[in-house]
Amino acid sequence: METNELKNNIRRLRFEKSEMTQQQLADLAGVTRQTIIAMEQGKYAPSLPLAFRIARAFGVPLDSVFQYEPVHPSQ
Amino acid sequence: MTRLEKKAWGNLGGIILCAIIAGPGIWWMISNNIKGPVVLIPFLASGLVGGLISYLRNLKSWAELDEREQKIAAKANALSRCISILFLYCASFIVFFVAGANNSVPAYLLPTLFISGILLASFVQSAMLLIQFAKERSDGDK
Repeated sequence: METNELKNNIRRLRFEKSEMTQQQLADLAGVTRQTIIAMEQGKYAPSLPLAFRIARAFGVPLDSVFQYEPVHPSQ
Repeated sequence: MTRLEKKAWGNLGGIILCAIIAGPGIWWMISNNIKGPVVLIPFLASGLVGGLISYLRNLKSWAELDEREQKIAAKANALSRCISILFLYCASFIVFFVAGANNSVPAYLLPTLFISGILLASFVQSAMLLIQFAKERSDGDK
């Protein structure tokens, strides 16, 4: 079975969105700053509702923030 | 430090305080073979302190936790539940085979086991929370 990995552009989008802080994004998404940090580091995969809230906070579609991509064994 | 981490440190402190309050009293009772209503004092004292700390710590509801913190808390709760069940299971058999040979056990043994089970479960829960946060932090440093 193919292995997939959830990647995200949260960090890049924060800086594009007039350098939004992690705390500001956390407040908009209704989570703690530590959860945003964990997501940016790829250590936490958010639930679907949280993923939508984050995309809404940036004003972009969900797939602009999160990508579900196959992991190659050589990586 | 997150709210959950602060709560875990608070709980750990409370458990240690309860153990410090009840431990010497129970030890004194066992070593002097004390009988009568006085045996209830260490349990009442630790229950009062534990209950007060638990009440003050839980003024802010667990519902305020976000989804990541709830997952961390769920893992810690599951482990503490397993450990407390295992402890009570083993403790019951130890009592049965060691102390119950004469068909009688001291009256303070049952509350001691019960309170020990609660303290152990709370200790494991708090420690598991702190370990998960520490592990997360060390992973982030890599």
